[in-house]
Amino acid sequence: MTATSTVGSDETYNYTVVRQFAIVTIIWGIVGMAVGVLIAAQLAWPQLNFDIPWLTYSRLRALHTNAVIFAFGGSALFATSYYVVQRTCHVRLAFDGLAAFTFWGWQAVIILAAVTLPLGITTTKEYAELEWPIDILITLVWVAYAVVFFGTIARRRVKHIYVANWFYGAYILTVALLHVVNSAALPVSLWKSYSAYAGVQDAMVQWWYGHNAVGFFLTAGFLGMMYYFVPKQAERPIYSYRLSIVHFWALIFVYIWAGPHHLHYTALPDWAQSLGMVMSLILLAPSWGGMINGIMTLSGAWEKLRTDPIIRFLIVALSFYGMSTFEGPMMSIKTVNALSHYTDWTIGHVHSGALGWVALISIGSMYYLIPRLFGREIYSQKLIEWHFWIACLGIVLYITAMWVAGIMQGLMWRAVNPDGTLTYSFVESVAAMHPFYVIRLIGGICFLAGMFIMAWNLWRTIAGAKPVTAAIPAPAAAH
Amino acid sequence: MLRIIWQLFTRPVEAWHTIHDRDISAGHALAQVLILAAIPAVSGYIGTTQFGWQVGGSVPVRLTTDSALLIAIIYYVVIIAAVYSVAWMIRWMGQTYGADQPFRRCLVLAAFIPVPLFLAGLMQLYPLLWLNLIVGIPAVTYTVFLLYIGIPIMMEISEERGFLFASAVLAFGLIGLVGVLAASVILWGIGIGPAFTL
Repeated sequence: MTATSTVGSDETYNYTVVRQFAIVTIIWGIVGMAVGVLIAAQLAWPQLNFDIPWLTYSRLRALHTNAVIFAFGGSALFATSYYVVQRTCHVRLAFDGLAAFTFWGWQAVIILAAVTLPLGITTTKEYAELEWPIDILITLVWVAYAVVFFGTIARRRVKHIYVANWFYGAYILTVALLHVVNSAALPVSLWKSYSAYAGVQDAMVQWWYGHNAVGFFLTAGFLGMMYYFVPKQAERPIYSYRLSIVHFWALIFVYIWAGPHHLHYTALPDWAQSLGMVMSLILLAPSWGGMINGIMTLSGAWEKLRTDPIIRFLIVALSFYGMSTFEGPMMSIKTVNALSHYTDWTIGHVHSGALGWVALISIGSMYYLIPRLFGREIYSQKLIEWHFWIACLGIVLYITAMWVAGIMQGLMWRAVNPDGTLTYSFVESVAAMHPFYVIRLIGGICFLAGMFIMAWNLWRTIAGAKPVTAAIPAPAAAH
Repeated sequence: MLRIIWQLFTRPVEAWHTIHDRDISAGHALAQVLILAAIPAVSGYIGTTQFGWQVGGSVPVRLTTDSALLIAIIYYVVIIAAVYSVAWMIRWMGQTYGADQPFRRCLVLAAFIPVPLFLAGLMQLYPLLWLNLIVGIPAVTYTVFLLYIGIPIMMEISEERGFLFASAVLAFGLIGLVGVLAASVILWGIGIGPAFTL
């Protein structure tokens, strides 16, 4: 490390809030995935709910999705966006108090979710199950988040706004819009409300929200992460800055229309379904723009692979991003969807995105971030490699089991005898799934084991370490 | 040729070096693929017409011989096309990863990587789900392993670069798999599907 000139004042970066979010990312990751492993086991052996209402699959499934998406993924996004926006704007995060509020507020949301969902308190809207008082708290935290993030950008010391911040900014704004519109409801008591929309409109608003939660929370936000940590770890500039801007606008424009593919062959008007399908197919292009940009950036850094296991996480994350963004448009084709919908193929698709892309890019970023926030070298490079291989094994087992299971379900459900009766009863298709559910469980256990390895490794890294305070380097003259 | 295939399982790294040094011709590689790809196609034909898939413990589902023959032929053609397109992809991506090998070399590479899968295709003779899984999962794993160790040796690049290269090939393979999956579902959806015996 050479001495760099600083901005001249004794201003430092706000690493406190980044550290807090980074550490809870690991904790919530383990909690959320452990719940996932439990409910995967319940699908293979239903008696594992022990006849206790709050341990039933129906309640824990929502807890699992909320914990991994909003607690694990959300904390990773908070941590990295706060880190990236400060570093790339050469300025301390705006409003320390508000930033601290977003941390404690977000943790309160998570705790409230962990209490209410097992109690059976739910709006029944997928990925938006939390009841109205929690929704209001989410809105407050999110507005504070936007103020802190855009406030920091407004105070930036460089003219340019780096592309990662564009992605983070789009994710923050769009999630605010999605959350407020989709969660609009009429409360009838403290823990019960009814959606502001009725019938098919409610379904369409739900999936406009649901798909864009994938598009903006789980894609745009994590692309922001990719656009900072991939070039950083590769120590090279982005392969094509122009491509990053083009695919940013294309992604933003196209994603918002893709939601109706969740409602193929329902009461939704047919033209809306077809529009959703066409937009989903177009979406392949901007998605692959991001993948190509990331992979080409990393491709020049191959010689670092010898010493740097983090690169492996980033490259495989991008490969899975490419694979699942190809699979998604395929599944949105109506004829394919007629077979795949309601089967485990969908579950496999979600997890190749969630484990393969979202979790791996977050893990790679955390391995980069946490040692730097505590001024320590990582405790063990070897353990990172172990984590990598066990995580990959877990993902492959998971998605292949779900492919086979999903296609089998689809074929069994549509099989008819010559006299027009169904060949298989529903319960026969459930029984046929058992071996695949066991394989999926093994895959999940592998992935969770990797998280424990990570937690141990990071714990050994930061135990006893003093938190780092970093002076802000002066922007390069080129800016 | 059989010796090399055996070696792929006993001493895989040496086997790749042997393949590399022998400088096998494209025609030779293609002939091998034509022969080995017949294993899953023929086994699948016999398995689906004679024994049938048992799903959910009920009566086995068998295909009519006409229908199974057509599917076996398509299956065979798709496998060969897949090997060929992987070879083409390896050639195309080679530039990015600092490898500039002739297409012949890429075809040989693509022909030897899926050998475990071709051999495991024999299990389709008796379509019992768990048996196919027990053989299939190790075969898939070993194929991926052969890909990762084979790329750097055959393309004459460092192991680190080979890792990135192999990951890209794997991603392409997965995408191809999903594409074939979607295509068959679409074909089935518009009525071009297997016919079952009663």
